[in-house]
Amino acid sequence: MKLYCLSGHPTLPCNVLKFKSTTIMLDCGLDTTAALYFLPLPLVHSPRLSKLPGWVSKDGAINLEKELKECSGRVFVDSQPEFCLPEKELLDLSTIDVILISNYHCMMALPYITEHTGFTGAVYATEPTLQIGRLLMEELVTFMERVPKAQAATCWKNKEIQRLLPGPLKDAVDVWSWRKCYSVQEVNSALSKVQLVGYSQKVELFGAVQVTPLSSGYSLGSSNWIIQSHYEKVSYVSGSSLLTTHPQPMEQSSLKNSDVLILTGLTQIPTANPDGMLGEFCSNLAMTIRAGGNVLVPCYSSGVIYDLLECLYQFMDSANLGSTPFYFISPVANSSLEFSQIFAEWLCQNKQSKVYLPEPPFPHAELIQTNKLKHYPSIHGDFSSEFRQPCVVFTGHPSLRFGDVVHFMELWGKSSLNTIIFTEPDFSYLDALAPYQPLAMKCVYCPIDTRLNFHQVSKLLKDIQPLHVVCPEPYTQPPPAQPHRSDLMLELQPPPMAYRRCSVLGLPFRRRYERIHLLPELARSLVPSEIKAGVSVATVSAVLQSKDNKHVLQPAPKPTPVPPSKKRKRVTEEPPESLNPKPLLSGAVPLEPFLAMLHKNGITEVKVEETADGHILHLQTEDVLIQLEEDATHIICDNNEPLRTALRDLVLRFLQKL
Amino acid sequence: MMDSDCFSLLPAVCLVLADPKQSPPDDTSLEKLLDWFKELHSHSNGQVLFQHQPCLLEFISSVCTSKTTDPAILSFTLKLTGLLAATPQGFHMLDEGGLLVYVFEREAWGVCDLWEDASVRSGWLQGLLNMLKHQQALGFLCGNGLIKVILQLQNDRSLFVACLANQLLVHILHFLTSSNMTNGSDVVGSSETSLRSDWVSVSSEIMNAVVEALSSEDHPQVLQGLRLLSQVLAQCGEPIISTLWKDVLVPLEVLINRGSESLIQTLITVLEAALGTPLLSKTEYKVEELLEAMLGDGNRRECFQCAALIVKLEKCPEVLKRKATDIILLPLHCVSTQPQAEKEMNVVLKEQLSQKASCISLLMQSLSSLAQLAHTKYLFEDISVHSITSSVLLLLRMCSGHCPTSLLHINAFTHLIGCCKVQRCGLDTLGALSVYEEILDLRKDIFGVLLDYLQSPDSHATVLKKTFQAFKRWIVCSPFPDLLQFISHDLFPVLEKRMCDLRWEVRDSTLEFITQLTTALNSNSGFTEALHTSGMVSILLSSLADAEGYVRASAVAAVGEAVAASFHQTVLVSNSKLLEEALVQMMAILSQDTEGFPRRAVVHAFTSWLKGSHLTMGLESSLSSVLSLGGSDFDWEVKMLTLELAEVLMEKTLACCPYAVQNSGSSEETHFTQALIKFKDFGLFDLLFNSLFDCDRPVCEKACALLIKLRTLIAEIADLDNSILFLNLCGNRWGDEVQGRYLNKQQAKASVCVKNGATGSDEGMDCGLHCIKNISLPNILQILDLDDMQKMLTLSSDHVVNSPRSLMEDILSAAQHSEENIVDCY
Repeated sequence: MKLYCLSGHPTLPCNVLKFKSTTIMLDCGLDTTAALYFLPLPLVHSPRLSKLPGWVSKDGAINLEKELKECSGRVFVDSQPEFCLPEKELLDLSTIDVILISNYHCMMALPYITEHTGFTGAVYATEPTLQIGRLLMEELVTFMERVPKAQAATCWKNKEIQRLLPGPLKDAVDVWSWRKCYSVQEVNSALSKVQLVGYSQKVELFGAVQVTPLSSGYSLGSSNWIIQSHYEKVSYVSGSSLLTTHPQPMEQSSLKNSDVLILTGLTQIPTANPDGMLGEFCSNLAMTIRAGGNVLVPCYSSGVIYDLLECLYQFMDSANLGSTPFYFISPVANSSLEFSQIFAEWLCQNKQSKVYLPEPPFPHAELIQTNKLKHYPSIHGDFSSEFRQPCVVFTGHPSLRFGDVVHFMELWGKSSLNTIIFTEPDFSYLDALAPYQPLAMKCVYCPIDTRLNFHQVSKLLKDIQPLHVVCPEPYTQPPPAQPHRSDLMLELQPPPMAYRRCSVLGLPFRRRYERIHLLPELARSLVPSEIKAGVSVATVSAVLQSKDNKHVLQPAPKPTPVPPSKKRKRVTEEPPESLNPKPLLSGAVPLEPFLAMLHKNGITEVKVEETADGHILHLQTEDVLIQLEEDATHIICDNNEPLRTALRDLVLRFLQKL
Repeated sequence: MMDSDCFSLLPAVCLVLADPKQSPPDDTSLEKLLDWFKELHSHSNGQVLFQHQPCLLEFISSVCTSKTTDPAILSFTLKLTGLLAATPQGFHMLDEGGLLVYVFEREAWGVCDLWEDASVRSGWLQGLLNMLKHQQALGFLCGNGLIKVILQLQNDRSLFVACLANQLLVHILHFLTSSNMTNGSDVVGSSETSLRSDWVSVSSEIMNAVVEALSSEDHPQVLQGLRLLSQVLAQCGEPIISTLWKDVLVPLEVLINRGSESLIQTLITVLEAALGTPLLSKTEYKVEELLEAMLGDGNRRECFQCAALIVKLEKCPEVLKRKATDIILLPLHCVSTQPQAEKEMNVVLKEQLSQKASCISLLMQSLSSLAQLAHTKYLFEDISVHSITSSVLLLLRMCSGHCPTSLLHINAFTHLIGCCKVQRCGLDTLGALSVYEEILDLRKDIFGVLLDYLQSPDSHATVLKKTFQAFKRWIVCSPFPDLLQFISHDLFPVLEKRMCDLRWEVRDSTLEFITQLTTALNSNSGFTEALHTSGMVSILLSSLADAEGYVRASAVAAVGEAVAASFHQTVLVSNSKLLEEALVQMMAILSQDTEGFPRRAVVHAFTSWLKGSHLTMGLESSLSSVLSLGGSDFDWEVKMLTLELAEVLMEKTLACCPYAVQNSGSSEETHFTQALIKFKDFGLFDLLFNSLFDCDRPVCEKACALLIKLRTLIAEIADLDNSILFLNLCGNRWGDEVQGRYLNKQQAKASVCVKNGATGSDEGMDCGLHCIKNISLPNILQILDLDDMQKMLTLSSDHVVNSPRSLMEDILSAAQHSEENIVDCY
């Protein structure tokens, strides 16, 4: 059993598990942080961004004026943003049988995997994962296609040139594997390969293994997976949460007794407690609004935003900010808000029960009804006529490199009354803000990551007791910025196996058993004999048939009488002559009774010698040696077959026969 | 009057109680009845209660002989008998008839197994305790071998009984040492006293039992022994305590050296009691030595608990306190400093610190003891306050996840991250340390840590509250040059954010903190200015509309203080605007808020404004609305506060420099009249008279007191025209009431006149029977019998229901009803 690690990112995993005869990809997260090296894509013409000077090396030797622009003291690539894909060279992607998706954030690289690689397998995901994943992909595509760039910058990637670039471009890794965004066609084609599954549904893969999604409590439809055969069990835990937010709570008990647990997707900000951050978010928002400023919340169009809206729904009235408008701007805003309301079965109990009242499970329905929350596909169109300040705007993309957020950064960045509140933990907020400096706007970093923290995970592991744990390398040491926080790492016995990008791990357990079925008629023909209380043994002669990874023992076919007309062509086809097999023996030969038996049969002169394994009996008159050992008995008797047979029969009297 | 009524009911009650067919009244009724007897007994001055009430004796004897007595009734009877026998005369009477032996000898009871009931045993002990007021009683106890029974009851399975037995034993010993029981030495100046020989055997019987208990292997018995010992030490005098101490010293030493954790608290109580006695001064009694033994070398598990207890002792010898202090500071020191190579780390301590539960409790003990020491401004000797404070600061930093790598030798760090208990305790201690001037130079660090706590999104609401408290103590204790800079640049922005917190508790404590800060820095003009210029005031004003009632109330208080602070300042531009805005919002709260707290806060704010200043134009215009709104509020506390406001208004207006007025020719009288007219304009009289007839008793009481005050003032000004200030009676509730009383009085007067055959003056008749619209204030005050009203109001509202008479009536009627019920059943 092997694990191929195609991504080193702890929360955007992409691993391939070879288990029995199957090749299973676990998630295919897309690392979008590479976009931070690129210039923002302004939705409205920005004089500032369009007039940026091109970059020329100090000695003038390298001139990349067209590709690289200097902005706020840093150099950015002026091209359509690119993303870092999972490793494609480690393994032939066409050999992958299935892809298991754990949540919509971890499937964003799907089109890169399933398209143009020869992939012919299936993708398994829950319905909300598919639908919201589709929304996020479509949003990403729209963001890119709305602002087309004529050229793609590639010269800077040249190793010799990159080496000479200023940081942080100089230190970017794997730049040649970066790719620009996929197209709608690719998205559609990739998603057409998805097969929907429900929680706890058992899916057979080629009869060899069974995969089951379990609720992971992180987002709508998010799941952990169990991959098991009859005798082995691998659990894949990715992006789970024990907090009470909108999704169905995490199912833990089914993860028990795993041989291997692959653990990814823990919280990215272990020191920030989501409740505290939510409080921080609300108070900063209220402070800004009270002072007459606007609040910009760069966020994904699904996920934490539902919780934020719910929290604000309660908070705004109490903070006396009831009349402040909220705007949610995204090409998929409408669908995201509506989808969340219809996936009732995937929600926590509290929200599910609302559906029967009947009420919408999320309070944002009421915010929309009362006109407090308005959503628009983009800043163009209706929004511009209804826009009222001060207000709160939720919009993407959290990297601040594309999407409507770019416009608001340009619009509000100059006033210190306004505040930008970062809630998504995926990007460094300082890097995200880099091309907008100098910025007068207040910046608040309240990353809300509801995924498991180290404290919770160690409790969970204590509870479910996996034999081995595999996890990304960063989880095995304290965060680099806080080397003294030994509580922010996994400390397990045995220590977890760590992986990084391009690792290939041999998982530390050997398969020892395989299940084989007996056909009823074969079972009927068995003659079991009890060798000790409760244990019976029988010999089986049969033909083993293996098909679709299922093994069946069938009665041996009776030798069919050979049709006389046909000549036997090949000797090998002749069924073996079925001889009655010799019975199998079991038991031990007790020394004293055996000696007595010998005596009774006239052999009196026996010299007994004790050895390490048993005894050697020397029948002196007959000059015969009998070696009695725990698992063997030898009668050494030269040229006296009758005596040997007689002795053998005496020995056999003490043994059981099958 | 009352008592004679009750006495007439007593025989019937006794019959009911003694009747085994009746189910006994509930415990509280019996207790109340006993209370009444106790009261009678204390007022009777030696008069024997049952001389006049033979029914009591009959009751007692019938209960004891009855075969079917209820345990509750028997218990009551035992206590009652003890009470009756508390005087020598009563004792004699009961003893003569042999009744006393009959009551307290349980073998003599009609039902023996009643002793199994705990309430009976407790009644028995209580009865003896009640009786033990004279020598004869003690003689009775000893003569009948009751001491042995009491000693047995000391280990009773019922805690109440055991405790009572202890109390009784202590009482006996105490009684033995009281003056009339000892041979006071005739030699002047001799402090030697000894027990009279006839009582020696009693005391030694009890003391032997104590020694035996302390030497016992049975844990509860040891505990009881120790408890008795500590009570004896605390309550009894010589020669009992030194005799007893000599006897118990050996077993006590054994117990202390054994170091059982569960006994520590009790052992310390014993030693604490010993510290307060003359035993301390004699070295052979080893009190100090024992305490020191409890501390050990600081390497036993329980020594920290001992040290924490010793630090709290008031009369502790200095040396011992130093040692205990050193020990109790060890955990704090150990966690917050680098290990020194030459000093071997305390193994026991290290082990305890490595476990989460014991680590936290140790540090909390350490911190709270430190706070305790700081409260008394204890002078540390071997260790500087400076380094202690640094340790506390470091500990607080560790709790929020910061730790210098040099301290990672101990894995206590991970237990501490985010631990609210230690945080709260540490912040309390840090606040308490503000009394030491020598650590003022640490202020920057201290403020830094406190500010971090305020800023941290993970700080629990209770931790924030403690942070505010610590902040306040440090800011108030030592205003420093950069204080204002710090407040407006560092503190205010954080407070601003905290006032928008999700948790109302945090918003509330933030506002409270601002209020306290404003009060404390009242005289600091810079602070007031900062309050205005930083925009804090407008945030306070917006908090007046918070969703949570408590927060609105705190916001009202904070705005109130801010306004009051601005009164002291010379013309701030924003002042009048602030007052105006505050008044609008506060009046809206008073008239519309659905919760009581904010409304109370508004009235309170007005009161403190008025107390702190003269009436300003802005205030005056709202005052009448406040008085009328507050007086007609649904919440009685708002009404009370409004009356307090009225009181302050009266005081302020009437005390308004009368001498100055006199100079200018106008008299005291005109000044007073002017004041009254002003009151009328404010609607003060409407408030007072309405409140006088309010449905809430405290409100009436307060209004009554204020009116009496006013009446006295009017009377003092002799030549005041009685007809000044006519008030209109029509159209309000109190007017009808006054009118009604007026007419009643007139009618009574008229009927007297008719009886006397006098024709009377036409004038009186005329106006008397007509409805009148206007009466002068002095007249109204006369018409109302304020003194009578006040007398009635001071009686508690349940004075009728709670009388012994009603109690007895209840008992009787319950008995009647139960009879009826029985009949019904047939």
